[in-house]
Amino acid sequence: MTDLPITNEMGFYEIRMESIGGFGANLAGKILGEAGILGMGFNGSNFSSYGSEKKGSPVKSFIRFCDANTTVRVNSPVTEPHMLVIFLETILDTPGLLSGTGNDTIVIINSASSPSEARDKMKLQCGTIVTVDAMKIAVEEKTRVNTALLGTVAAASGFIDPESIKDYIRKNLGKKYSFLIEPNLKTFERGLKEYQSQFFEDDGKYPAQPFKRDGQKLGYMNQPMGGVILTPGTTIHKDLTASRSGYIPVLLKDKCTSCGECDIVCPDYCFDWSRGIDKKGREGQILNKINYEHCKGCLRCIEICKFNSLISRVEYETDNKVLEVGYSTSELV
Amino acid sequence: MSSTSTKIDRPAQTTDFLSGNEMASLAASHVNYHVMGYYPITPSTEVAEYLNEMGANGKHNVNMVPGDGEHGAAGICYGASTAGGRVFNATSANGFLFSIEQLPVQSGTRYPMVLNLVCRSVSGPLDIRGDHSDLISSLDLGWIVLTAKDPQAVYDMVILANKIGEAEDVRLPVIVADDGFFTSHQKRRVRIFEDRQVVEDFLGPFKPMNVSIDPNNPITIGPYMNDPDQINNKKQLSLAMSAAESVIPKVFEEYEKISGRKYSVIETYKMDDAECAIFIVNSAADTVMDVVDRLRANGKKVGCIYPTVIRPFPAGLIRSACKKVKSLLVADRADSYGGNGGRLSTEIKAALKDDPQNKTMVISRIYGLGGKDFFAEDAEELFKLTFQAVSDGKVEIPYDYIGTSPGDPNHKFVKGTESLSKEIQSPGILTVYKDEDKGCVEVKGVKARALTAMPDRITAGHGACPGCGIFPSISTFLKGIEGFVVMLWHTGCGMVVTTGYPNTSFAVTYIHNLFQNGAATLSGVVEMYKERQRRGEIPGDQEITFVMVTGDGGLDIGLGPALGTAFRNHNLIILEYDNHGYMNTGHQLSFTTPIGHATSTSNVGSVGRGKTFNHKDSAQLFASCHIPYVFTGSETHYKDLIRKAAKAQYFVRNEGLVFGKLFSDCPLNWRHADHNGHEVIRAGVDCNFFPIYEVEKGFTTLNYNPDDKGNKIPVHDWLKLMGKTKHLTKPENKDILDAFQTEVDRRFAKIKAMSEHPDL
Repeated sequence: MTDLPITNEMGFYEIRMESIGGFGANLAGKILGEAGILGMGFNGSNFSSYGSEKKGSPVKSFIRFCDANTTVRVNSPVTEPHMLVIFLETILDTPGLLSGTGNDTIVIINSASSPSEARDKMKLQCGTIVTVDAMKIAVEEKTRVNTALLGTVAAASGFIDPESIKDYIRKNLGKKYSFLIEPNLKTFERGLKEYQSQFFEDDGKYPAQPFKRDGQKLGYMNQPMGGVILTPGTTIHKDLTASRSGYIPVLLKDKCTSCGECDIVCPDYCFDWSRGIDKKGREGQILNKINYEHCKGCLRCIEICKFNSLISRVEYETDNKVLEVGYSTSELV
Repeated sequence: MSSTSTKIDRPAQTTDFLSGNEMASLAASHVNYHVMGYYPITPSTEVAEYLNEMGANGKHNVNMVPGDGEHGAAGICYGASTAGGRVFNATSANGFLFSIEQLPVQSGTRYPMVLNLVCRSVSGPLDIRGDHSDLISSLDLGWIVLTAKDPQAVYDMVILANKIGEAEDVRLPVIVADDGFFTSHQKRRVRIFEDRQVVEDFLGPFKPMNVSIDPNNPITIGPYMNDPDQINNKKQLSLAMSAAESVIPKVFEEYEKISGRKYSVIETYKMDDAECAIFIVNSAADTVMDVVDRLRANGKKVGCIYPTVIRPFPAGLIRSACKKVKSLLVADRADSYGGNGGRLSTEIKAALKDDPQNKTMVISRIYGLGGKDFFAEDAEELFKLTFQAVSDGKVEIPYDYIGTSPGDPNHKFVKGTESLSKEIQSPGILTVYKDEDKGCVEVKGVKARALTAMPDRITAGHGACPGCGIFPSISTFLKGIEGFVVMLWHTGCGMVVTTGYPNTSFAVTYIHNLFQNGAATLSGVVEMYKERQRRGEIPGDQEITFVMVTGDGGLDIGLGPALGTAFRNHNLIILEYDNHGYMNTGHQLSFTTPIGHATSTSNVGSVGRGKTFNHKDSAQLFASCHIPYVFTGSETHYKDLIRKAAKAQYFVRNEGLVFGKLFSDCPLNWRHADHNGHEVIRAGVDCNFFPIYEVEKGFTTLNYNPDDKGNKIPVHDWLKLMGKTKHLTKPENKDILDAFQTEVDRRFAKIKAMSEHPDL
């Protein structure tokens, strides 16, 4: 039987996946767990962190492997991973994302960057960085990033048998989604090959990010009684950019009549209005811009707009200026 | 639990990698219960989902009956158990507490069944993660309570529970409790019987007693029984518990013979010479055992005790296990507030008191509430307390919490939105008046553009899925409501994504109550408001519009209180956003889910063909309450909806209760693209599935007839747009499609007739 390359004092090789709902981290964790435990004969466990998982909200998946005869007792999340898999760059600002990483950690990130660029984006102290452009692979293969990342996980781990993962990709997609098996296997194969890896020593460039359990700002001395929230509307400060999956609506201001229908259909209160003088010189409500920090890219507004003044665009192909000011003109697009 | 090493011929088992919930449902399928009555609640929901999926593919014959709530589910289970078969249920937290009134009925009349309690923190505030605050409420119900610390134990206990509860001198219902998320959602390597017949053979056929469906032997179940008889009924129950004490170890022993897995009522880990020990229930025991090994390596004489049975409470076995223990820490994952110790700590103290020789010092610590993770470091900290007690010769602090945080004294609360004045919320765009000639209320000035001036009562930054239909539905309605608003939201996606502590999306005052009871709660708010106005405590001329928001789920479980609110005709608005399922828990069927639709509890498979019964018509239910105003609406017909909101405000001001039903989409679970909610909803309206109408003072008006505009389509053309209904467009399901079309046409014709004939 294959040996684990490295284990912690309890005998585990530990993997943490960091993602948001909709990218398939939960399923990737399950496939990886099954491949290692049922396919390769390790013992171990797998679970995901649960808040209220909506599409677009943070998800973590944990996988532990140990020798077949070791008893699995640990129930707590993986705090010092041997392998950290980051499903998308847009979540890099999540507090604690890199916590518990060190010299022995392999950090796999879905990114078009080189490992050294990725290191600067992450501000990672040290360890092995593996980049794979899983989004590009997934778009080209019409799949999701999870199977591409699983390919890179197998390659970078040095001990996970790719054939075993392929087996469990097949089993999980099963009869119900059999049409997805071939594209996902291809996605996996590409993840297995199309990656870059580089080891970084602690050169003093970035500080260590040890795992911290506590230090909550709100506790029993200052939580308002009864769990009441005394400050209205505080989610307005949240940035939901990470919830988008590639597309954004663009407002063509010169075409817009400020008819107000986009405001009806938007689930996320993204349209910014104020009173002003419209193109016909009449006073009324004017649509100023889209607040992109709240836009999840659902594109409901594109469907309703009668004047083609809201159009769908691939986000990374869109001029950054549009995202900054919140609108465009026909010429810009 | 430990595995026996000797090779004996045992039934074949396979190795798998499964979670606690998967194991519970597998065990249930192997037991092949006759009936499961259930109601979804996180984290136990998956048990019914997996079981339903297996059933849809012909893997068992469990007849699964969805309750209208946990109380209803418990009633279904009770009735089913009197009718002479094996019965199963799974629930958690407030769902368990909601059903609790039924549970002593089950035990007091002595009908065995099995309830998988997937332990979760009891609200409020609402918390979905795992602790034992529901479990401690199970201790006084007359049910046997087994605990399962890992997925393997869940499988085994769900099987064993039947044999224990059904034993002739026991005949009691049994709870199998495992830890929400820690066990229910954690996959471990497990062993399961290859052939379910092994389980059926182990249990033997169910032996019915006191059967409610044997006309040849008429019996009375549940008489009116006061003193002096009731106390004797309870004595019998107590004797049954005592009988269970001797039955349980025998059943464990028999099971070991077929499974190779040995369970003991009290499991002890390295207790032989332990001077310090921790008593702890379920998953955290695993963590403690790891730490025992670690401390033993450093020469510490420590051990761990965890039970697999807490009712009947194994006092004698605990006494024996603690004979040489100098200091015992009892860690409770629930507090018995004001009891000066966790519930199990006080029970253990009482147990030890019965041994006059016992000198064990007992320390009570509360840990892991609300699902806070229990790390090895926590267990080490707890052992330190036991060492301290031994060196001090006394327990300095007998009862306390571990794992709490005081918070940062310098923390400043971030301001969100400005508070909305009455003037800002009253842009005066709409005119509402009573047309005395027509005898109805009319609204003028509905313009989308002008109404963008209405401030958002719900603000940006909520965590709903992209393309969520809830917020457009509710916010479009709110565009028609002027002035101050106070909202109450039922449990559901809408509340969960807006109020994740310490943030809120609500710019106005908001209350959450569990969805059994929101309408009653808001009734209380309104009546106190009026009473305080009458007493001059608050200005009499200040006006607030009270709006309750519920999903269709909240109008299943909370229908009773909502109807009560309607009968009392309070001045408030009930808004139902109907997206045909319990989306917050992962798309289980609701009573408004149309026939044939696939959900996670009405799966499509080799046998399953989606939901088996027709959708509930909540608008007509409320119309039958004869409240002043009932309407249906949709964001696709937003002018109509805003007009109805303004009318609703008129009626709530002047007459009483308003009920509105909103047709709202869920791209995730309906399985359509995030952007095309409007296309799907519009098709649902144009096929006459969702008639847009209002009932004003008893008179029905159909506001939109697709036929008049040439927009009428068959239901097929709506159903083809969603992944959850694609199967209905296939030839093999034509009978369901036709039946659904007939039902839709019949209901629409009725509304149309009512609209045309004022007497209807």
